[in-house]
Amino acid sequence: MTDHAHDHERTVKPMVDEITDFEVLEIALRELCIEKGIFTAEEHRRFTEFAEQIGPTPAARLVAKAWLDPEFKKLALAEPMTASEEVGVDWMEPTGFGTPSDFTAFQILADTPTVHNVIVCALCSCYPRPILGNSPEWYRTPNYRRRMVRWPRQVLAEFGLYLPDEISIHVQDSNQKHRFMVMPMRPEGTDGWNEDQLAEIVTRDCLIGVALPKAGVTTNVITDTRPAIHPGTAG
Amino acid sequence: MSERIEALQEIVERNQVWPVMAAKYGVENPVPPWKTSLDGLCDALDRAACNENIPSFKERRDEEDVLSATVYSNLPYPENQLVSLAHSLVARGIIDEKELKQRLESIRERLEA
Repeated sequence: MTDHAHDHERTVKPMVDEITDFEVLEIALRELCIEKGIFTAEEHRRFTEFAEQIGPTPAARLVAKAWLDPEFKKLALAEPMTASEEVGVDWMEPTGFGTPSDFTAFQILADTPTVHNVIVCALCSCYPRPILGNSPEWYRTPNYRRRMVRWPRQVLAEFGLYLPDEISIHVQDSNQKHRFMVMPMRPEGTDGWNEDQLAEIVTRDCLIGVALPKAGVTTNVITDTRPAIHPGTAG
Repeated sequence: MSERIEALQEIVERNQVWPVMAAKYGVENPVPPWKTSLDGLCDALDRAACNENIPSFKERRDEEDVLSATVYSNLPYPENQLVSLAHSLVARGIIDEKELKQRLESIRERLEA
């Protein structure tokens, strides 16, 4: 060991030094599927590389750009696939037709002073993965999926988002043919901010519609998942 | 579909779930390292879903929802996603339970060699 700063930076972070059953199970399923000819190792590698590089950064960047440039906002709403390319996302990747579960019909829903948008997939967990990354755990739960379409105000309140009655809530149900993301309005207190500063406050939750961007807030709400409870039978 | 599968039950009981492992070794990653490979596996399966008996995207997710809420309700995400997928593939006869058990043993031997 030396006391040089660069050596210090190279210190390896802690790792799980144990082979877990889950790690072994994932390998076993994959190997058996490949051996049975269900898919090839090459196909699996391509989809895994795709899964490794997706995240919410391009979507946040797209919204920040739209806030700064009205022409880009028009493009984003009229031709969302073209606007996605400007933030580095090609919806046709990784197969030339997108992934099997990410169809290439994509629409951006712009909030207005009187309409708030929120996305859900009532059927399963369709999500705009190429531009927003993997969905959070709670998005996949029946609790969120079934209740958001019925009681959106109540579910949004559980995320800490209380909307006044004069704002209507538009719940957009994704499906295997259409993917959506929300373009929230630029919040107060961000005058003079550049694109990087604005992109930082456009969190994943804001792009789903369960939060509103706010100067100084750059993290998502941590939400416990729980089983579905009907309001009429709760308590 | 809800019948217990012994090989998977043993995995559940050993409980090497990521929150436990991460805490034990002081690791900060929110999800286990095999998660992206599992995502690749699900996408590859969805693409193959036209073949006989391979669950479609919707069937796979529906079965995952049911199994995660019942047989595997004690597992966190994404362990419940992985084990539910394994359960679906065994229950549908795509993977034989004995074959899976043997493969789990041989992979562990390989990784520990």
